[in-house]
This record gives sequence, C-alpha cells and structure tokens, in this order.
Amino acid sequence: MVDNQGPLVVLIEDEPQIRRFLRAALGAQGYRLVESTTGEDGLAQAATRQPDLVIVDLGLPDLDGVEVIRKLREWATMPIIVLSARGQERDKITALDAGADDYVSKPFSVGELLARMRVALRHSASVREPDEPTFTVGDLKVDLAQRKVFVSGKEVHLTPIEYKLLTMLVRYAGKVLTHRQLLKEVWGPAYADQAHYLRVYMAQLRRKLEADPARPRYLLTEPGVGYRLASE
Amino acid sequence: MSLRRTSSVRSRPTDWPGYGLAAAVVVLCTALSWVIFPYFELSDIIMVYLLGVVGVSAWTGRAPSLLASVLTVLAFDFFFVPPYFSFAVLDSQYIVTFSVMLIVALIISGLTVRIRGQAESASERERRTAALYALSRELAGTRGMKDLLDVSVRHLVDVFGGRIAVLLPDAGGRLEPRAASIAPFQLGPDDVAASQWAYERRQIAGRQMRFVPLLASRGIVGVLGMRPDEGHALDPPEQQRLFETFSNQIALAIERGLLAEEAQTAQVGIETERLRNVLLSSVSHDLRTPLASITGSASSLLESGDSLDARTRHELLQAIHEEADRLNRLVQDLLEMTRLESGAVTVRKEWHPVEELVGAALGRLGKRIGPRPVLTRIPADLPLVPLDGVLIEQVLINLIDNALKYTPETSPIEIAASADDGSVTVEVADRGPGLASGDERRVFDKLYRGQAEAGRGSGLGLAICRGIVEAHGGRIWAENRSQGGVTFRFTLPVKETPPSIPPTDG
Repeated sequence: MVDNQGPLVVLIEDEPQIRRFLRAALGAQGYRLVESTTGEDGLAQAATRQPDLVIVDLGLPDLDGVEVIRKLREWATMPIIVLSARGQERDKITALDAGADDYVSKPFSVGELLARMRVALRHSASVREPDEPTFTVGDLKVDLAQRKVFVSGKEVHLTPIEYKLLTMLVRYAGKVLTHRQLLKEVWGPAYADQAHYLRVYMAQLRRKLEADPARPRYLLTEPGVGYRLASE
Repeated sequence: MSLRRTSSVRSRPTDWPGYGLAAAVVVLCTALSWVIFPYFELSDIIMVYLLGVVGVSAWTGRAPSLLASVLTVLAFDFFFVPPYFSFAVLDSQYIVTFSVMLIVALIISGLTVRIRGQAESASERERRTAALYALSRELAGTRGMKDLLDVSVRHLVDVFGGRIAVLLPDAGGRLEPRAASIAPFQLGPDDVAASQWAYERRQIAGRQMRFVPLLASRGIVGVLGMRPDEGHALDPPEQQRLFETFSNQIALAIERGLLAEEAQTAQVGIETERLRNVLLSSVSHDLRTPLASITGSASSLLESGDSLDARTRHELLQAIHEEADRLNRLVQDLLEMTRLESGAVTVRKEWHPVEELVGAALGRLGKRIGPRPVLTRIPADLPLVPLDGVLIEQVLINLIDNALKYTPETSPIEIAASADDGSVTVEVADRGPGLASGDERRVFDKLYRGQAEAGRGSGLGLAICRGIVEAHGGRIWAENRSQGGVTFRFTLPVKETPPSIPPTDG
C-alpha cells in the first residue's frame, strides 16, 4: 500500500510504550499515524489533520478521555475507538454513550484492535453508501429488503420486537452497542433503563438463531456494557 | 411522672373488699351456728367462728382479720350467750371465754397473715430469681452486640414494662441509642443531657426517663434508659433492687460482648497481617516466574535473534505472549481480591438470565477451552436472577478456568443451572481427579492450591468466587462426584419477584 493512501489515524495516548508498539503494528498494516500525548494536542491534531479514525486512551494526563470524545463529537463524525482498562465498565459505557464507536480493554492484542478499527471504518464508509440489502455472517442471513431471517437456509420467524432488535444489531454489525442505545432505539427513550427487557429478548433471539444459545456465535455479550453482533 | 408515686404492687389504702369479706364470713358463720345451735355445745360454735377467722386471714390482710376477730366475739355474744340478742352478759365466766376467744382469733389471724406474707415473698423471690436466671441464661447463649442488646431490652420489658433503651458510647464518648423497645427511638434534649450526665458521673439521672449507668468490672459500658408505664413506677425497694440486678447482668454481658469484639478485631488484624505476608511472598514468586521467562525470551531474541531459526524465534515469541497473559491474569486476580477484601466492590444487581452469563464466560475463555467438550444444561424457563453481571461472569470464568487447569485436555466440562424456591443454583462440574478429602472447604481459602503439580494459578480464583458469591448473599461449595471429578456449586438468592416483561409482540 502506498504510504499516503492508507487511512489516517490520530492516536491520543500518553504511554510511550503503547505508542511504540501501535506505531509499529499500525504502520505495518498501512495506516498513517499521527501521535498525541495529551488530550488538548489530540483535539488540535484531529481538527487540523481531519483523520479517518481517532484512538483515545481514557486515562490521559490533562483531559478526561470522555471529555475528549465529547469535544470531538461537537464537530466530527469520524469513528473513535477507546483504549481502557478492564473492570472499568462504567467508564466504557460513558465513553460509548458520549459518542465513542468501540473500545478495547488493556491489555489487548493488536489483532483485536485492528478488527475493531476495520469495523469502525466500514461503518463510517457505509454512512455514505446505501445499506446492503442482505447481511450474512456464518449460517445467519438477514434479508433487510424482504424482512426475512434465515439460519442455515431455513427461514426463522421473529416477532416484531425481535426483528427490530436484530436489524439494529445488523446495522452496526461488529460494533458494540450499549444497553441504553439498544433500548432507546428498539423500545423508545422511556425504556432506556429497563436492561432486563433487552436481556430477555436477547435470550429469545439466541434461542431462535444460535445452535447453542449458551455458547453464542453471533449475538455476543459484552458484560456490563452491551451487545455486539459478530460480523466475521 | 416521678418515681415516687403510688405503686400498684400491693395496695396500702383501705381494703374495702377485705372488710366486706370479713363481715360476710362472720354473717355466714353466725347463720351456720344458728342452725347447729340446738344440737351442739357452745364450744363447737366457737370453733366454727375461729374457722371463719382463719379463712378471712388466709384471704385478706391484717386489718380485715382483726375486724373479723372482733366481729366474731361480738356476734357470739349477741346471738349465742344469754341473754340472747343483747351484748349484756349474765355470767361473768363468759368474759373469760370472750377474752380467750379474741386472743386465739388474733393469734391465729396474725400467724396466718404472716405465713401468707412469707409465702408471697418466697414466690416473689422465686419469680425474680427465675426472671434473672432467664436473662442470664439467654445472655450467656447470645453472641454479637446487637443480639445481646435486643435480648436485654426484651427481658427488661417483660419484667418491668415501660419503655427501655440501651445507650452505648460511640468512639467519641457520645451516647447513642443502640437498642430500644420502641423503634425508632427518639430522645428529647433533656434526655440526651441526662443520659450523658448519668454516663459521665456514673449516677442515676433523669426525670421522665430514668438513666441508670451500666457499670461492669472495667468501668462504665453504657447507660440503661427506663421510662415506666403510667402507674407502674419501680416503687417497692425489691423492684428497684431487681432492676439494679438486671442492669448489672446486662452491663457484664455488654462488657463481655465488647471484649469479644476487641478480641475478634485483634484476631482479624493478626490474621490479615499474616495473610498479607503470605500473599506477598507467594505473589512475588508467582510474578517473578513469568517475568523471568519473558525477560529471558525477549533478551534471547534481542541478542541472538539473527542466528535463531524461524521456528525457535516463533517459540520464544509465543512464550512471551503466553507468559504475559498469565501475568495479566495474576495481576487481575490480585486486584480483584484486594478490591473484594477492602470492600471496594459494590454489587450492582440487575435481572439477568443465567444463560447469557454462561455464554459470556465461555466466550471470554474462548481459545483456552479449545476442542474440549462443554455441555450446558440451562432450562429455557429458568427465571431471571438479580445479580451483578460482571462479577458473576467472573465467578463462572474462574470456576471454568479452574476445571480447565485441573483436568486433562479432552475431559468434558458440564455447566448446569436450576431454580429452587427462593434461589437459583449454578454448577460447574468436571471429570478430573476430584478433591482430596478435606479440600472441599479449603479450596476456597486464599492461596490454597489443590495439587502441587498444578501450581499454575494464582491460588486466588476460588477465593474470589467465594467473595463475590457471598457479597450477593449466596453460598458456594464443592463436592466430589460419585463417578469421579468435582462439582462446584453456588446459589444466589431470588427474594423479589422477577420484573414483568411485556408480551413478545408488545
């Protein structure tokens, strides 16, 4: 890949070791990287360089990572991926609800981060293009035009809410969706705190779509945060 | 209301029913004597009257007995001594009869009243002893300060009535109501001052509510507040003495409770310190092993990477990756354990399907499960359980991980869940070597590792499970299976009714 054709990424991270290995790993994959060590500098870089994607560490020395996301979202639509520590589920939810697209928990493998970046970039591209009429992953096929769902070629009947929930996941396939985001979209803003609705319907969907609902392949749980539909 | 008020324990004012009874008995004796008069001697009639006097003194007090004695003599004179129906006496011999009769009547009534008094005070003493015995016995069998105080209050109310409160000093020496017969217990400003005064001066204080210092062998432990019911003051000295005896018993019990608490805190402190040292030495060993292997592999690659063949380089890189992963898990466990022990973990309960958590746990373990068969038996109609999803997922991960570590690579793992009345039980079972006898409990202890050869874990995984399950109000235990292997089970309480879900097509 020619150097100046790869997607441009702004990395806002204060730890030099993390920056060092990301520089190597992302460079090898053809990404062009702009590094920032502070939130303020990162915001300035994002404004001048207009990157395709921003990676933000939640624990920055000057600004709270969530604050960086809020300020970015005031004007920018490019995908934002958050680096956070495990066990900070609340922070992840706050970051996602503030407009981040996805997160990886430290320590993470480069493969994991690259997968999240690919999904995020694909979605930012699909905003400009019409949605594919069908979505396929493994044995699961969703025909959005005809509103039909197939597992291994066999049609599965879903209730209206189950279908609405599934299409929401399909629209953001591969990307994590928080409980709030799903509840607001499928049931309405008044139900944003009724996470058990979501869990019950998710269980029903799994029973209809998964071979073993206790070991889901498609409808994945992000504990304490939300759900993700496998996209690859 | 002051304490110097009429007591109702034994009435001192005019005993009208007693006098009435005395008069009635004399009338009855007279009627009986009148009937038998034609057939019997006068001495027999005297006996009838004396019997009446005994009866009156057995049933009433001293004054009615006296009245009965006098009336008896008068009635005898009036009805049975000639001239009849007159108090006049013809034969002076009868004066002697009257005097003897009066003296006998007085002596009998006096004796009877005294015997009855003694019997009454004996039974009062017995009642008091029984009440005190009941208190001491229950106090002796009670553990924990709160229960001790509740028992004390209950006994005091049973015996003395009224409103009772026990006030104990806080760290700053300010009294706080810790147990009371009426909750919530409110003290007026006067009461607060009086109780504090009673505590500081070690003297009884208070007008409306009386505060009695609770003195034990090492000094004052608190204050007992007592507000008698209307008309039920602790007037008789024996009641007051009994109250004091009760207070002393309670003071000693509280002191015993405080000493036990202190001893326990000290014990916990020593135990914590010991565990911290063990943890530190064990952890520094556990941390060094993966670090040594990472450092070694990385330096080999740096120094002689060019001369190594591709396979060896890959092996070294693989080792770095795996050992870093192991180090990460170790650090996570340590952090989790520290958080649990310091009480920094808050359980955020939400309604969850167990199936989803099992799925998430299996998903997170992912590659480590490999080709190993995992059987899940989770009924579709299992109710939702109120739990903290992130924490219980951690429990499942640790239990499954434990099974992965201690069983051969192809050995199956079974995960099941079932609902009971008021609880849900989840189990993770394996077909490994099982636990050595006595290990069923110890495996949940910090740093306890089953077999020496399997020293790969932090020794904290199951202790974390126990910490999390207990923070949910549940229980966790292990049992060997009859056909080999071990089952880890935990139950979580389901006290509330699960929330309703709108119908599928809602």
